[in-house]
Amino acid sequence: MSEIKQHAFLFDATRCIDCRACMVACSVENKIPMDKTRIWVSGIGIKGKFPDLESATMVYHCMHCEDPDCASACPVGAWVKRSDGPVLYDSKLCIGCRYCMNACPFGVPHYDWDKGLIDGAFIDKCSMCPQRIDIGLEPACVATCPTDALVFGERADLLKDAHARIASHPDRYIDHVYGENENGGTSYLIVSHVPFKELGLPELGPTPLKDISELIMGGTLPFAFGLTAVLSGVAAGVHAYNKNKASKEESSEVQDELPAKTEASK
Amino acid sequence: MKLNIRINQRFRLSPGVVVLLAFIALAFVVAMIRYINGIGAISNLNNAYPWGFWISFDLFTGVAISSGGFLMAGTVYILRIKEFQPLLRPSVLTAFLGYIMVAVALLVDLGHPERIWYMMIHWNHTSVLLEIGICVMSYLAVLAIEFAPVVFEGLKWEKWAHLIHRFIMPFVILGVVLSTLHQSSLGSLLLIQSSKLHPLWWTPILPVLFFTSAISFGLAMIILESSLSSRYFKRGLETHLLEKLARAIPVVLAIYLILKFGELAFAGDFNYLFTSGWMSVLFWSEIIVSVLIPLVWFSFRRVRQSPRGLLTGAVILLLGMIFNRFNVSWFAINHPDPITYMPLFMSPVTYFPSLPEVAVSIGIFSAGILVFGLAAKYLPVFEDEGSIHNHLA
Repeated sequence: MSEIKQHAFLFDATRCIDCRACMVACSVENKIPMDKTRIWVSGIGIKGKFPDLESATMVYHCMHCEDPDCASACPVGAWVKRSDGPVLYDSKLCIGCRYCMNACPFGVPHYDWDKGLIDGAFIDKCSMCPQRIDIGLEPACVATCPTDALVFGERADLLKDAHARIASHPDRYIDHVYGENENGGTSYLIVSHVPFKELGLPELGPTPLKDISELIMGGTLPFAFGLTAVLSGVAAGVHAYNKNKASKEESSEVQDELPAKTEASK
Repeated sequence: MKLNIRINQRFRLSPGVVVLLAFIALAFVVAMIRYINGIGAISNLNNAYPWGFWISFDLFTGVAISSGGFLMAGTVYILRIKEFQPLLRPSVLTAFLGYIMVAVALLVDLGHPERIWYMMIHWNHTSVLLEIGICVMSYLAVLAIEFAPVVFEGLKWEKWAHLIHRFIMPFVILGVVLSTLHQSSLGSLLLIQSSKLHPLWWTPILPVLFFTSAISFGLAMIILESSLSSRYFKRGLETHLLEKLARAIPVVLAIYLILKFGELAFAGDFNYLFTSGWMSVLFWSEIIVSVLIPLVWFSFRRVRQSPRGLLTGAVILLLGMIFNRFNVSWFAINHPDPITYMPLFMSPVTYFPSLPEVAVSIGIFSAGILVFGLAAKYLPVFEDEGSIHNHLA
């Protein structure tokens, strides 16, 4: 499957039966204790009145954003977006500041709260199983899903597939592919029969959240140099003014009174 | 007589000092437990609330209350308004200790404190936190240089003190630049959380608001520390200088208020002012205590000229602005709906700081007060206006 340029998931909430096999498969594959799963499955319960009952289940992975906020926020660059899809974490660089957890609008990265300095506390989240996709396999969760609620492939193909599913059953699906544009696009696409908000997904615009802080960061150095120049100028100016004044006062033999005018400007 | 002076100079274990030492010891024990058993063992921080009391109090508040240092250094050295010189050293000491406290607190909060120096070699240039880290580390060095003459004078190494005074200008300018950058960047830190921070607080001009309010923090802090140390050390109070500082407070707060409401109007967020339930209550309480009351209070000359009026106003302003920092970095942040988003077995979904968590902050704060007291006692920090050496030849 090395021909895939941009890996992505497609999750179909109408197909999920809440069996949680994906969680088990993920824990086994990535050797994650079950109480620290990288996938979490959450139902919104049963809604409506008999016989018109409705339920839905959401399977949360890392969204593997196209422009990940975590990677923008991390001070030491421990997060990288691989060009073929996965957002990966380097525990060797992580300083444990947990800014990525704040920056992620989906609340995905989670932390080893129970580990001290000796064990080493790290961030963990879904990695898209790079050890599997690099040899042409699907991620463990997808391979184990019994109802094809989770599928994996080229992002562009999955988007086409998602829209085709909506088009063929407009009565069943909400006409929106979550992740197509959210936060600049994600590599975890979702189609659903219940509003995405009820699945616990945040409402996000098409521009990544990081854009504003990156814009401001870009202006930091020019601002710093500009301010240094201005302050140096002010310091030199005040110094020259005082010297000039002092020499004048000296000639008229006036005691050095402090410049009362400059403090009014403060 | 000489003997008498030495007895006064000796460090005595007063009850207050014992309490401070006890707090420090407690914080030390709690920190050790955290290093052995993890942050979860002592705090209520969790996956839904990765940042909590430590960040709001130790980082956001700690940095803001230390802004007096760069204000006074800039005023005395760059603008050369020499009459403020008596306030310079206490302000620089407050800032120096404040930043050391921030750094110590971060060493508890960071998951890998032993890797903090990675920030100096692994640069992710898009990260606001990197900028803050670099600025705070550099500014600590600058503050050490700015404070060094006081230590050298205390040690009677006049030559060294003089040497630093001769070359201090570039460091003062660097200090003001670094302070401007990271005081505002603490606001930029929250920009990336636009989907979580309530629109009454989230605005693209957060850095500007943070910088403006940091100035009011610094002015109030200088008034507070001068007032308290004049009481505690039974020395004179430079009321006429503090009056001048206090005169600036309404101006700064008015600018802050105009910026804040102007932006809300510009962004069309006025509808949130009264319709956001608890968030509206938090917002208005913050605005009243942090801006409106101090603005009116310090507008009265009589209030500004009385030591008690100055102290009261400074305390109100500081409490209000600390409330602002807590709101913006904690109370007004809505994490993704935790009920549906976080499985209960993985993480608690609410956050309230645990006692040990608060104990760490109290211990670090106590250490700051203790060191301030020691420095004020043994070093020429407070100088009477008459006896001040003229460093600015």
